Amino acid sequence: QVLPSPWARQARSYYVDWRMLRDVKRRRLGVEYADERLRINAIRKNTILPKELQEVADKEIADLPRDSCPVRIRNRCVLTSRPRGVKRRWRLSRIVFRHFADHAQMSGIQRAMW
Amino acid sequence: MKVEVSYRKKLQEIKAREIAKQATDKLEGPDSEGAALRRTAEHIQRVKPLNPELVEAASAVASSLPLNKKQTESELLAQLRRHEETTDKQKKGGTINIRNVISEMAVKKQSRAQRAVRISNRISLELDEDGQRIKPQSFDSRRSLKVGKRLNIFAKASTERENALKTVSSPTIWDVEFAKEIAAVTAQPPRNGFEEMIEWTKEGILWEFPIDNEAGMEDDAEFHEHIFLEKHLEDFPKQGPIRHFMELVICGLSKNPYLSVKQKIEHIEWFHKYFEEKKEFLQEI
Repeated sequence: QVLPSPWARQARSYYVDWRMLRDVKRRRLGVEYADERLRINAIRKNTILPKELQEVADKEIADLPRDSCPVRIRNRCVLTSRPRGVKRRWRLSRIVFRHFADHAQMSGIQRAMW
Repeated sequence: MKVEVSYRKKLQEIKAREIAKQATDKLEGPDSEGAALRRTAEHIQRVKPLNPELVEAASAVASSLPLNKKQTESELLAQLRRHEETTDKQKKGGTINIRNVISEMAVKKQSRAQRAVRISNRISLELDEDGQRIKPQSFDSRRSLKVGKRLNIFAKASTERENALKTVSSPTIWDVEFAKEIAAVTAQPPRNGFEEMIEWTKEGILWEFPIDNEAGMEDDAEFHEHIFLEKHLEDFPKQGPIRHFMELVICGLSKNPYLSVKQKIEHIEWFHKYFEEKKEFLQEI
């Protein structure tokens, strides 16, 4: 349960760019339609049910909104919206990661030396 | 030794004394000697006449003793008088000279050994079973509160047991909002990192440590409700490919630890609904 804090914190009011916003939309829709997509796909990828039924299921899944499929989600950098060079663990692009690590703001990160 | 004084003798003595008194009063009224005697008599009377019983007792004691009777009697009477005087003084609140009393008293000096004993009595080195120290048992003969006769100073408080439980009404929206307002007003900004982390935990930003893997997951269902899902298949046809398909679905769900029972039932319901819609289509096939 999330309780709102009585004192305001610094909050980002805008997304970095429109691409990031669209990515956010895709993620939201992906979560919404995840169950349906799973079930319809279970009917489609089958050898037991009749093929006609499976074709109908194909059509149904194609009718779902395009942004609902999880494949369209891109793991962008959270701070700069960079689509490439993003490390999954920190959700940051390599440049931002390096910046923070050098300023000792990444917990447990040290320059490699061996 | 008990001195027996008979009552008859007492009465006789009392009567004789009274007569003698009256006689002396009459006789010595006009004389100057009589006046002096009267004064002494008055003085004696003012000093308070001795108890006649005591006088009788004194004379009896004197007569019983082998020594000079008259002398012993006079000495005893003198003692009695002194005793009466002291009691009179005490009754009047007479001078008890404290200085005289204290001057005779001396300060009690404790020896070093006695002082040491008293100090060491305050610290006890005995240990309990738990390893805690037992307090020194000072003056065990102190009375506890509940021992002894009741004084009945206070009226006994009426112990009214409320039979009906007070039903606590669920907090209204206004109460909830009020409580939130109070919390917001009284909340101070965090003074240090610890308080900041506490606030984050309350808000849900920070997890609670030690991390509970099942935080937020409230699955009260038993294992059999997860595994034996065939009872939900009653609505489906008993033969055919759909049944086969659904049995596979159920097999997969029974092995799924990530879904709750509700979600699994929803899953099966969705399939049921889907196949219901497609029924006419399926009939054509």
